[in-house]
Amino acid sequence: MLGKYAKTIVLFIIMVGVFAVMVIFLQDKFLTVTNFQSISSQIPEFGLLALAMMLAMMTGGIDLSVVSITNLTGVVAAIILTKFAGPQMGEGQIILIIILAILAAVAASLVCGFINGFLIVYVGVPPILATLGTMGLFLGIAVVITEGHGVTGFPDKFLYIGSGTIGVIPIPLIIFIICTLIVALALNKTSLGLSIQMLGSNPVAARFAGINNNSVLVKTYLMTGLLAGISSIIMISRVNSMRPGYGYAYLLTAILVIVLGGVNPSGGFGTVSGVVMGVIILQLLQSGFNILAFSPFFKKFIWGFMLLLVMVINFIIAGYQQRSGKLKTRA
Amino acid sequence: MNTKIKKIFKHNEIYLFLIIIVFSLIITSINPAFLTLENLFDLTKSSAGMGILAIGFFIVLLSGGIDVSFTAIAIAGQYISANVLMASGVDNIFLAFLISCSVGVFLGAVNGIFISIFKLSTLIVTLGTLSAFHGALLAFVGTKAINTAELPDCFKVFGHKNIFMLSRADGTSYGLSVYVLILIGVVIFSWLILKYTMLGRGIYAIGGNRESALRSGFNIVGIQFFIYCYVGFLAGIMGVMHISLLRYSNPMYIVGTELSVIAAVVLGGARITGGTGSILGTLLGVVMISILEKNLVLMGLSSYWHQFFVGLIIIVGVSITSYQNKRRSIESLTFR
Amino acid sequence: MAEELLEVKNISKAYTGVQALDNVSMSIKRGEIHCLVGENGSGKSTLIKIVAGVVKADEGEIIINGRLYKNLHAIDSIEEGIQVIYQDLSLYPNLSVAENISLNQMVEIKKKFISWKEVKNNARAELSNIGKELDLDVMVEDVSVAEKQLVAICRALTHSARLIIMDEPTSALTKSEIDSLFSVILGLKEKGISTLFISHKISEVLKISEKVTILRDGRKVGEYSTDELDNDKLIFLMTGKKIANSSFKYKGKEHDRKVLLEVRNLSKKGNFEDVSFKLRKGEILGITGLLGSGRTELALSLFGLNKADSGEIYIDGKRVRINSTQDAVKLGISYLPEDRLSQGLFIEQSIGNNIIITILKKILNRLKLISSSKREKSIKRWSEKLDVRAPSLELAVQSLSGGNQQRVVLAKWLATSPKIFILDGPTIGIDIASKSNIHSIVRGLANAGIGIIIISDEIPEVLQNCNRVLVMSEGRVIRKIDDVSDVTEEELFNIVSRKELIKVS
Repeated sequence: MLGKYAKTIVLFIIMVGVFAVMVIFLQDKFLTVTNFQSISSQIPEFGLLALAMMLAMMTGGIDLSVVSITNLTGVVAAIILTKFAGPQMGEGQIILIIILAILAAVAASLVCGFINGFLIVYVGVPPILATLGTMGLFLGIAVVITEGHGVTGFPDKFLYIGSGTIGVIPIPLIIFIICTLIVALALNKTSLGLSIQMLGSNPVAARFAGINNNSVLVKTYLMTGLLAGISSIIMISRVNSMRPGYGYAYLLTAILVIVLGGVNPSGGFGTVSGVVMGVIILQLLQSGFNILAFSPFFKKFIWGFMLLLVMVINFIIAGYQQRSGKLKTRA
Repeated sequence: MNTKIKKIFKHNEIYLFLIIIVFSLIITSINPAFLTLENLFDLTKSSAGMGILAIGFFIVLLSGGIDVSFTAIAIAGQYISANVLMASGVDNIFLAFLISCSVGVFLGAVNGIFISIFKLSTLIVTLGTLSAFHGALLAFVGTKAINTAELPDCFKVFGHKNIFMLSRADGTSYGLSVYVLILIGVVIFSWLILKYTMLGRGIYAIGGNRESALRSGFNIVGIQFFIYCYVGFLAGIMGVMHISLLRYSNPMYIVGTELSVIAAVVLGGARITGGTGSILGTLLGVVMISILEKNLVLMGLSSYWHQFFVGLIIIVGVSITSYQNKRRSIESLTFR
Repeated sequence: MAEELLEVKNISKAYTGVQALDNVSMSIKRGEIHCLVGENGSGKSTLIKIVAGVVKADEGEIIINGRLYKNLHAIDSIEEGIQVIYQDLSLYPNLSVAENISLNQMVEIKKKFISWKEVKNNARAELSNIGKELDLDVMVEDVSVAEKQLVAICRALTHSARLIIMDEPTSALTKSEIDSLFSVILGLKEKGISTLFISHKISEVLKISEKVTILRDGRKVGEYSTDELDNDKLIFLMTGKKIANSSFKYKGKEHDRKVLLEVRNLSKKGNFEDVSFKLRKGEILGITGLLGSGRTELALSLFGLNKADSGEIYIDGKRVRINSTQDAVKLGISYLPEDRLSQGLFIEQSIGNNIIITILKKILNRLKLISSSKREKSIKRWSEKLDVRAPSLELAVQSLSGGNQQRVVLAKWLATSPKIFILDGPTIGIDIASKSNIHSIVRGLANAGIGIIIISDEIPEVLQNCNRVLVMSEGRVIRKIDDVSDVTEEELFNIVSRKELIKVS
């Protein structure tokens, strides 16, 4: 029985362990308010991307275009915010524009997700290739719209999303927590969520069991797109600008935290809590590296190396489990 | 005679070839300078490197895998060999190739170990190594660009070497670069391996039906190891060609161009599931992408459209083959 | 010099919960044509894999060419000249016919380079050996199933083979192709090459073999020379005493015999043609025939996975269109797939998840979320009803025995309260006790009013459990038997194997 929660417990221990190591070795520099603020500001936008990627991987696929979707939706929102909102506008109008921008971003993210879903389900393109293509396509559109330049200067009210707080808790964190809960609920407690897990485990058996694979997959990629879109809104409101080409380092680290968090890349297994802990572990490490002033290049090396390490460890554990018969019991 | 013609049309390559012809004609009508010998020579020189990378990627794809780390390997080979040459004072292009290719094979072997021995997912492994290799290069070797003045002469000389020269109206001359020879060499060598050795047939076998390949007695671990080392080797070659072409080296270059190469290979008809495709198709794909990339401006589109088109090409190219595949599996009642 | 090419002594092999082989011994002489006979699940495939060195026996010895192997590896087996043609054929879809035929041999002799001329000549020679011609340059994926079998057979023949093992090679061959194959086997005999032919088709066994080893439930029932056997004796030896002596008796009374399903002139190009039949409440209709006769394709059409080109389907008298599995389930149709492991079960998922996957809508609460209590209740109810035995219902399904696994698949469909239940090969690879248990479950369902279709290869299973039978061959219904008591086992065998061809045409 404990086996089901074993992975989660291990992850929790690792998370606490990393935290402890950071505290011990970096002491004062780690335990500062600014440090925690910086950690908690990165977690939401990155965490949402990880959740997005997780959903795609649960179905046995992958979505390489999440960062591009973020870019495109960010550009869409940014354009609306800057082109339509002028300093002479009344408060009510500005809020309207902000809402419009957010809705447009959401709509754009859903369209992107739909395109992915369409290619994968109705044209039959393997997810790797489909999202590899849309990765370029979506970024390309973003670049064409902005001609490569950044877009800056958003209304203050909008920036409130990124930098404001409700009580002590930053708004982005609240958004992230809400999204996490919704995704966890959807995955574990709705028929769509269970269908996603079963489909990821065995798409053929899912068809034979009466599950509408096409509908499930399209919905999955729609959700992926949506989460990426929300992430972009948080992102641009935090930095008050949008420049296409931003965030591609997140692609690798998103896959890293998902694999770290116990998601099986071939589909069917994984927990939201695992991914969230993976995100936290990564951010703790990230902040530690920042304090130690690691160069971004060294960090790049470490993330890549860690991904390989985690995969190898998973491989060894799986082999051990099979051999000791942990997966099988006598009927 | 009729069936022979029908057979030719069955292959994707013929359609791609026709599209290239049509495209070239359109461009020539806008800019007559396109279809000149000089321009074509130039095009060949600048796309030879991509062609070599594409062949490497193609071979990996044939075996049913994916390798996205080849760009990092290429720049690593390039940067390391340039630095070594500069530091040691030796000014020899063959040494440069030797170093670059050795680095390439070494890094390829790292990929090989993770993929063939640990049997990990090829996409995720190479995503990891792409980051690890590039990060390591920048963090441990350096980030300083090498400008033309500092660059050892052998590179510059090599970059200028031509097979033969022709003269223009005003007396100046241009030539067909030796890059063509290297490309042809790689093409022939790869083709020979694929078509005439058991190693090559083994690659096709693994891509076609891995289980059967196991049962047939193929040495799958060995073959896969070879594939990734070979890609690394080719990336090493491209690295030296690249630095000699630009007469400049920045360790941030090359990485980021993976999509173009993948687009070229996919356009050439290679299937993502492995087992099918041809070197000819790959080369045609490279030609198509190169022409596209260089002439976007001519077509009235700013260079910002580049990403968009590469993405679009991948999608369209892959959609066609995937859809055909899908129809075929529905008819035969195989459930994916 | 030993006369025995292959000798296996006291071979035993167990998988979790099932004793696949129990103290089996067998021997094959040089140049002998030997048949290994038994029903599905009798242990034939396991024995073959052990001889091929692909699976290790728990106990026993293997002696090939006089050499004793305690631990046989695949490469040893191949080098001793043992070639296996597996049922899945193991071909390369992306390579040409010629290459598929010649490739294995080149791997074996450790060739480094390829001469395409040699490849083609080789292939041509082997094909002409069987008296067949195929386009050598065609990709195997573009070739028909029968042609694929020929390629697989040719491939095995090119090796310095001493023993060729064929696992159910005639499943998709026509009569003339089977005759060709038999003449090839005879030709091999003349060259001193032995053939081990695995089959459960009586007529073929009697026709081609010299010696027969019969397996039943993992044990060897006997080894006979073919002259000593005839149809009846062989059937009896294969199936043994019938555990359930009773046959299914259709209980429907005249006024109760509502037609649940009617199929009229259903056709699908390449699969089946002009199929018509009715299924009444409480009936068990058997559909039998050789593999490739279109039975499964027909079933898939009724389940929404293989839309027919023409014809009509009526459920409860109303014309319906079944375009997807969702349509089928909504209409009350359930389908137990042929391939339990990859189509019927989510092997790594829990038993519980496997059971409720079909009734997700039924276990939702008012908020459209999955209610844990409803979920637990459903899992408990259906696993108990079908007597699924496991230490915990949260364990992965892969830990269960074949019989238990099949019960899980049954459970998941029964949970949907189907009106029509199609079972495709329901007792393949299941031990005899579970088999009869599943049969009684199915009969119970029929008596409760569900209309059942059983698709099966096993004549005795069909005769004991169905009250009506359709015999299909090459896509057409060639015989309708409206009352099962009208026909004997032997007669049904003859119809199925088309021995009656002369009479009918």
